[in-house]
Amino acid sequence: MRFVDEFRDAELGRALAGEILAAVEPGRHYKLMEVCGGHTHSIYKYGVDDLLPANVELVHGPGCPVCVIPMGRVDDGIAIAHEPGVIFTCFGDMLRVPGSAGTLLEAKAAGADIRMVYSPLDALRIARANPDREVVFFAIGFETTAPSTALTLKRAKAEGVRNFSCVCNHVTIVPPLRALLESPDLRLDGFIGPGHVCTVVGGRPFGFIPADYGRPLVIAGFEPLDLLHAIHMILRQLAEGRCEVENQYKRVVPWEGNLRALEVMAEVFALRPHFEWRGLGFISQSALRLSDAYADFDAEQRFAVPGVRVADPKACQCGEVLKGVIKPWECKVFGTACTPEHAIGTCMVSPEGACAAYYNYGRFARERVLT
Amino acid sequence: MGCSEDHCITCSDAAVPMRVRRLDAASGLAQCVGDDGEASEVDLALVSAGEGDTVLVHAGVALAIGRPDGAVSDLAGPDAPRR
Repeated sequence: MRFVDEFRDAELGRALAGEILAAVEPGRHYKLMEVCGGHTHSIYKYGVDDLLPANVELVHGPGCPVCVIPMGRVDDGIAIAHEPGVIFTCFGDMLRVPGSAGTLLEAKAAGADIRMVYSPLDALRIARANPDREVVFFAIGFETTAPSTALTLKRAKAEGVRNFSCVCNHVTIVPPLRALLESPDLRLDGFIGPGHVCTVVGGRPFGFIPADYGRPLVIAGFEPLDLLHAIHMILRQLAEGRCEVENQYKRVVPWEGNLRALEVMAEVFALRPHFEWRGLGFISQSALRLSDAYADFDAEQRFAVPGVRVADPKACQCGEVLKGVIKPWECKVFGTACTPEHAIGTCMVSPEGACAAYYNYGRFARERVLT
Repeated sequence: MGCSEDHCITCSDAAVPMRVRRLDAASGLAQCVGDDGEASEVDLALVSAGEGDTVLVHAGVALAIGRPDGAVSDLAGPDAPRR
């Protein structure tokens, strides 16, 4: 398919790997963070890291929305799902994320009417078809998913659908990146920017990374050649002493983003003063709630939710994995007590999660040979 | 669960290219077809796309239009890999 096949060409991949090798300074260790879970998934699916020199290390970032949902929010969802007359809808992976007393899937088995949807529009269709039931959509995701929730709520309002509401867990990518850059645990040399978030927000919001922290960021696509190309662009910036936001993914990402999406989001959402991220703690202004104009659709106002903060299980080291401080296989329960079938931590649930990506593609090799 | 091998519906950073097959201007919804031949209904409210365009779809909404020259332009220029 166009826009896909060209970016999986093995010969070009080998050529790019050669150029990456030529761009690195021997003896220097490069630590690059791929911000988003989609990149993590592609890296392990295609073995992109196997094509890199041993001194170029990829560190996984916090950009998997399933992985960063704290247990307390799952508990809130389950509490609403058990309310009489409620049809609770969410994306598939959310069903398996553990709360303090089980998952949404287990709540479904216990009798709650929980349905998987592919889009918030599907949840709205269920609401139209069941006017005597309360239909709740559990919204998660970064700026790529938020416009979809916003458009759905606009439709619900325009159509006067009164039995539809939303638990808003949408998060924004810039505040956790700033928190990571402020963290003393981690020293990074550059960032692979989240390509699809950038289709909405554009490149400008990432300008603070070179300006305030002196690190380059290259917005990248999701095919293997996109990733190799972006890594090469970062290494070239470092070699040439440049430090800027560059766009490798120009075929999709306009520099200014999608202004219509930003307008819809500004209408439907407002910033929360703070929000808890799994493993990262509370981060100021890092998440969205429904704006006052859409308060009628806010499930947190419509239903009583526990709203209790729950500590992560002690054995789970998702926090360190999400911050890139440890690799998935360094977690004490990776692949033993914690597997995709029986996940303890969120990073093992979604295919975008670093642990699940490692586990599913069998990438356990810890020593690599210089390419 | 809920995810094909190539993309995950829960991830904000995963999206799939689809071709617009038929557009209903009144509702802003379009029938789009993906790489796997599967058709689905997509909201085109956020892009100025027409029939035949390739759009990037996430959670039922088109977020961007693939630029006609894009497939080559991303791997062109001074950073381009050489065969």
